[in-house]
Amino acid sequence: MKTAKEIRVGNIIMVDSQPFIVLRSDVNGSSRTGFTYKWKMKNLLTNSPMENVFRGDDKFDVVVLEKKEATYSYFADPLYVLMDAEYNQYEVEGENMGDALNYLEDGMACEVVFYNGKAISVELPTTIVREVTYTEPAVKGDTSGKVLKPAKISTGFEIPVPLFVGIGDKIEIDTRTGEYKSRSK
Amino acid sequence: MFLNQNQATSLAIFCKVVDNFGDIGICWRFARQIQQEHGIAVTLWVDDLRSFQRICPGVETDAEVQQLAGVTVRHWRNQEGVFSPDDVADIVMEFFGCDIPPGYIAAMAECNPRPVWLNLEGLTAEEWVEGCHTLPSRHPRMPLTKYFFFPGFTGKTGGLLCESSLEEQRRQFQSDQAAMTAFLVQFGMTPAEMASLKVSLFCYPHAPVSALFDAWQSSDAAITCLVPEGVATEAVQAFLDGEAKPGAVRTCSALTVRVLPFVAQPDYDRLLWACDLNFVRGEDSFVRAQWAGKPFIWHIYPQDKNLHHVKLRAFLQRYSVDMESLNVFSLGWNDAKVDGVEEQVDWSALWLSFQADMPEIACRSIDWQRQILENGDLASNFLRFAGRVVSDFGKQSIMRG
Repeated sequence: MKTAKEIRVGNIIMVDSQPFIVLRSDVNGSSRTGFTYKWKMKNLLTNSPMENVFRGDDKFDVVVLEKKEATYSYFADPLYVLMDAEYNQYEVEGENMGDALNYLEDGMACEVVFYNGKAISVELPTTIVREVTYTEPAVKGDTSGKVLKPAKISTGFEIPVPLFVGIGDKIEIDTRTGEYKSRSK
Repeated sequence: MFLNQNQATSLAIFCKVVDNFGDIGICWRFARQIQQEHGIAVTLWVDDLRSFQRICPGVETDAEVQQLAGVTVRHWRNQEGVFSPDDVADIVMEFFGCDIPPGYIAAMAECNPRPVWLNLEGLTAEEWVEGCHTLPSRHPRMPLTKYFFFPGFTGKTGGLLCESSLEEQRRQFQSDQAAMTAFLVQFGMTPAEMASLKVSLFCYPHAPVSALFDAWQSSDAAITCLVPEGVATEAVQAFLDGEAKPGAVRTCSALTVRVLPFVAQPDYDRLLWACDLNFVRGEDSFVRAQWAGKPFIWHIYPQDKNLHHVKLRAFLQRYSVDMESLNVFSLGWNDAKVDGVEEQVDWSALWLSFQADMPEIACRSIDWQRQILENGDLASNFLRFAGRVVSDFGKQSIMRG
């Protein structure tokens, strides 16, 4: 079992004997007993969506699903098509892609997740490197990293970065939290 | 509150006392109000009867079950216990996400119809609360759904605890000089102290009390600080140069500090109503200070990584965004950084500016009361929502049937 705070977008959890995929997780904080996790989920049997809140220490059975390494190939509205090393294609519904869409680029390596033989979601590497395509000019000398500004990456997704990051810099991003980790060399 | 066909007749409240008196303070007010104003039988399960006794002297600390002000109080000793569906109330409330005994949850799952299960969360002015208020939380392994219920300061939250007669009680007390004098005399207050600026002080131990005492001593007007025993003990003892026991008092320059006994909830309300400025802490006294309609300073419960500063700023953003002295004072009192200010807080200067703004702050507190009253009171909102859940259960049963 995993606690709510250990569960990531794309994980499949059992709720009252039914499998749900976590599509989005907003961590809100915080009460005295910890953070509140607001999840958008989808029932994989009925396809019905559900929004729930949980405490960080609520425990869930996580379904260990078959996974295959694949690369993102193309978008065939509303399906995202990925391909493995043997050129097998897998289609994942756009709404099941969750936060992966924030970082998705052509040829990007990820893992396709299967439930009952059907590709249902993707899981990203924990850390990815992306180039900053736009941000306000870098502030030299500010190395504390405490003050943040928005920066856009090539997918259009914005994340907060320290003031010293400039356009063209490559940055490491933690895909679990969507947070800047460091500047990549 | 309930629709007739969905009338709830019983509520079980589970309260775990984690620290101090706020947890049981809130649950006790809530329990009494639901019982007295809505006619619902309330059972309050509480794990710490000694803390409960401090705010409600009628509590017997060794009783398994007792009746207090119409509420059944049960000592919640541990997580053990076997329960049947007959033991389960129509509405089950867990306070601050305390873990209800597994046996009770299992019995809830066997009930038909199932009880309404609500988790009453802590108060915060942060915006995210509106997006989580009343959202369901499906139980991972049982056919049960819990709902999160957040108190708050907007119409998209559950509101604040407020008994229907509270405002009238306050108005009567504050307009009855004899009653107010009699109330203060019981603590040994002299006419001179009553004529001074009266301040009640309730805070956690790390508040900069000594620095404020120093500033108050050089004030140009007399100040009397009333502090319950056990609060800010170190600073109070240093000022008194002796033990901080009830009745202890000392005047030094403009400041008199007087130690009060720890008072029951109704008297604490009167204390807030009788003082010109109230320092409060945590959640329960913080809410009561807002209903007192007097200027107040909040000492917020500390959290790791200074997360409580986020909550403090969120409240100030709603309450006093354009009142600089109140904001700076509140931030300084909670050791939170003031934007653009690097140096240490100058409490003498800050007190002067705050004191000058007190009439304006008092007006604001009255406006604020009006504003938050528009959201309805927490107990009524809570029951209204529980009724809606019951009504939705009914609709789902009809659709399935």
